[in-house]
Amino acid sequence: MRRLSVLAAALVLAGCASVSPDGLRGDVQEQTQSRLPKDAQLPSANSNAEADEQKRIGEWLQKPVDQDTAVRIALLNNPDLQVQLASLAVEDAERAQALTLFNPTLTLGRFTNAHEIEFERELAFGLVNIITLPWRSRWLGWQMERSTLQASQNVLTLAADTRRAWLRAVAAEQALIANEKMNDAAQLGAELARRMAAVGNFNRLQQARELSIAQESAAQLARARLNATLEREQLARLMGLWGTQTAFELPKQLPAIPKSASELRAGDDAEATALRERLDLRALRRDLDVTADRGGWSRVGAVFGDIGVTYSNNRAKDRESGHVEKTRGWELELPLPIFDWGGSASARTRAEVQRSAAQLQSAALRARSEARTNWSRYRTAWDLAHQQQAEVLPLAKQVQDETMLRYNGMFDSVWQLLAQARTTTQVVVNATNAQRDFWIAETDLQLALTGTSPGGIAPFAATTSNSNNNESGGH
Amino acid sequence: MQRRSFFAGAATAVAAASVSRVALAALPEPASQSSAETAAPLVPPNGRPYRPVVTLNGWTTPWRMNHGVKEFHLVAEPVVREVAPGFSVNMWGYNGQSPGPTIEVVEGDRVRIFVTNRLPEHTTIHWHGQRLPNGMDGVGGLTQPHIAPGKTFVYDFVARRPGTFMYHPHADEMTQMAMGMMGLWITHPKAAHPLIANVDRDYAFLLSAYDVEPGAMTPRVNEMTDFNIWTFNSRVFPAISPLVAKQGDRVRMRVGNLTMTNHPIHIHGHEFEVTGTDGGPVPKTARWPEVTTDVAVGQMRQMEFIADELGDWAMHCHKSHHTMGAMGHDVPTMIGVDHRGLVSKIQKIVPDYMVMGERGMGDMGAMEMPLPDNTFPMMTGTGPFGPLEMGGMFTTLKVRAQLGASDYRDPGWFKHPQGTVAQEWTGAPPDSTAPRQTAPGTAPRAPSVRKPGTDGGHGSHH
Repeated sequence: MRRLSVLAAALVLAGCASVSPDGLRGDVQEQTQSRLPKDAQLPSANSNAEADEQKRIGEWLQKPVDQDTAVRIALLNNPDLQVQLASLAVEDAERAQALTLFNPTLTLGRFTNAHEIEFERELAFGLVNIITLPWRSRWLGWQMERSTLQASQNVLTLAADTRRAWLRAVAAEQALIANEKMNDAAQLGAELARRMAAVGNFNRLQQARELSIAQESAAQLARARLNATLEREQLARLMGLWGTQTAFELPKQLPAIPKSASELRAGDDAEATALRERLDLRALRRDLDVTADRGGWSRVGAVFGDIGVTYSNNRAKDRESGHVEKTRGWELELPLPIFDWGGSASARTRAEVQRSAAQLQSAALRARSEARTNWSRYRTAWDLAHQQQAEVLPLAKQVQDETMLRYNGMFDSVWQLLAQARTTTQVVVNATNAQRDFWIAETDLQLALTGTSPGGIAPFAATTSNSNNNESGGH
Repeated sequence: MQRRSFFAGAATAVAAASVSRVALAALPEPASQSSAETAAPLVPPNGRPYRPVVTLNGWTTPWRMNHGVKEFHLVAEPVVREVAPGFSVNMWGYNGQSPGPTIEVVEGDRVRIFVTNRLPEHTTIHWHGQRLPNGMDGVGGLTQPHIAPGKTFVYDFVARRPGTFMYHPHADEMTQMAMGMMGLWITHPKAAHPLIANVDRDYAFLLSAYDVEPGAMTPRVNEMTDFNIWTFNSRVFPAISPLVAKQGDRVRMRVGNLTMTNHPIHIHGHEFEVTGTDGGPVPKTARWPEVTTDVAVGQMRQMEFIADELGDWAMHCHKSHHTMGAMGHDVPTMIGVDHRGLVSKIQKIVPDYMVMGERGMGDMGAMEMPLPDNTFPMMTGTGPFGPLEMGGMFTTLKVRAQLGASDYRDPGWFKHPQGTVAQEWTGAPPDSTAPRQTAPGTAPRAPSVRKPGTDGGHGSHH
């Protein structure tokens, strides 16, 4: 009775081991929902939806792409993410396959000798496969959960990479405009110097000095232009855009930084949040569960290998007499644990458990540290950006105004006025960069507290083909 | 700009906060002046009579007679001098002003001067040009110990010879004179003197120069040559009082130079004679007529003339940059530079930009451009016919037919008799066919067209 119920349960489970229709995307979506912009969606597994998604992307691209929209587009459109999601679906199919009972083996034979014809019919069935089904089902389930968590991390990493790329692209665009202004000032200075020389007010040296400023400025403008292109390309790549889509517009300004320190995220609960929320820790915890649970299985598997049950139904016919003899019966195939009692296998699982535990510990340690350091970076980035906004920019404006007054009084020349304008513009660029760095630090902090390691986490690096992981640590 | 108001003698007596009343009990109360206007001449209330001088934008200190000794009290202290309305400079001076009060005595007077030091560093006073005992000469370290901050020293001597003199520190003098420490000393003759005429108007002033960074208040004391504020008695045009005279008055001007360069003092419409130096009256045979006399560094000159020509006559230092206010000495010359197409572009970068200097700097005299705070403009002052484009060692001599003997008030602008003002030519237009010989930036007889590509190389111009 008891055995029957186990068997029945196994069969039921086996029946449940169907392939998830959306390739587990729903699970990934659920894990990441609260950490993504509102209405952000993963690409549907259903290929019919693609036209719809492309249409939506097309609509988004009509307007200047804000930060959240960039993330929405990237999630729908980034091909690397689609690779990862497809891999997840493949893995899910493999799991379902692994949980499906092996088909029984039917062996048919026809043997003749001088006086007999023998028909052999055997139906063989691997028994361990059935007995261990609940077990396997459980840890394969865990494994899928872990894979889902890993995919979720990839989603969050992509979102963070896209945010950073967006911030860099917008800042680079702002810097480009500022550089154009700086260059205008330098070119004006050079032109005026040329006219000064033409009427004999400047000598060659004075003129050459102003010209060299213009040349240096032109070179700097070229570098700024390249940088803006590169940053924009990086963003387009992450959003999976090509062709005419790459003509998208970006807002002219980065979002303003929080006005006062009281609007910032407090740092005292950072470590606790990271330990509670981070998906990489949850994945590693699953790893540990799986390896620990596998310990029992590995012993059974190693000792018993596969227990085979065979049912035979043979028929032999005497050629002369026509007498038919039927044999029915079953065979049980048991490996004898004489040489391998499973010792090495269990040693291996013990070591694997230890390894998993150590990995979890290491990741937790890193998560704590990252929570602290990213909070510090976030806080300092705000201080620096706020200083730029509240102190440096007003001071630069004051210097500019005073220079204008000095020009009015003929204490300074127009070249000094233009040089000051260039300096002021550079100060604006610096302030923009500080603003950008604050938002990047904020993105990193969010990821470090609720997602995964902002610098990319080693155990998953192999499956993360996203090239931005290398870059995200290096700003 | 100039409001000529006269203060009757010393305005206020202010006791020092840093020197206690007890310590000063035996001293004459120091008189102090807070106004930079020209004070009325101080008619001597006691002692031998004399005709007092008028110190341009300054004043004469009263004294106390003490058993036949004229006792003065000078207090060396930091002051804020209104160099022009809206432009004040932190200076060091005496009794509330820089320059300090004029000391007027009579030949043969016994003089006792108490000097209290309220500066943050030691000082002394040197009585420039006086015959006196060596120990009264005021050279710190050489003839006396320095007067430490908070201390009072007393100088005691007889004013032996008549003339125009000055006083100034002889301790850290580079700093202390750069900060404005100086004053005039006039010794009047005790009786008629064959070489010293009686005059109707007797004006006195000192020349001093400062380097005040535009927008700052304190002179740069380490500057040696590149000054930007040129003053008569630490005032600049148009804030310097005019010298007024009734037609026919004999006028004396006493000028002392405590800057680091010479000043050719020039007067319009009249010729004068230098009748005295700090060495004493000039013998009549040594005098010659002039319209400009150079007052060298550390010198004093007495000039005399008859103010017989009616009008508003300029009187100024003939070094043109000494009649300029603060200006940038490194600003390139913009004359003749074509700004077409550039102005609006520059204004995109610097919205308040205006072209200046393209036609010369005369625009500056007319334009009211915002300047840094507490900055004296390069050119300023407006006359009846327009901007004067001056600022510095410049003032006017105003000669009028009707003027009271003791009236020193500014009589306003001169009313020119009909037909005596230069005017625009309204006859036939000038011959406009005369060709212009050269263009700016081109040497005379240089080829007017250059071969393309050759104008970058050396030596291709000639």
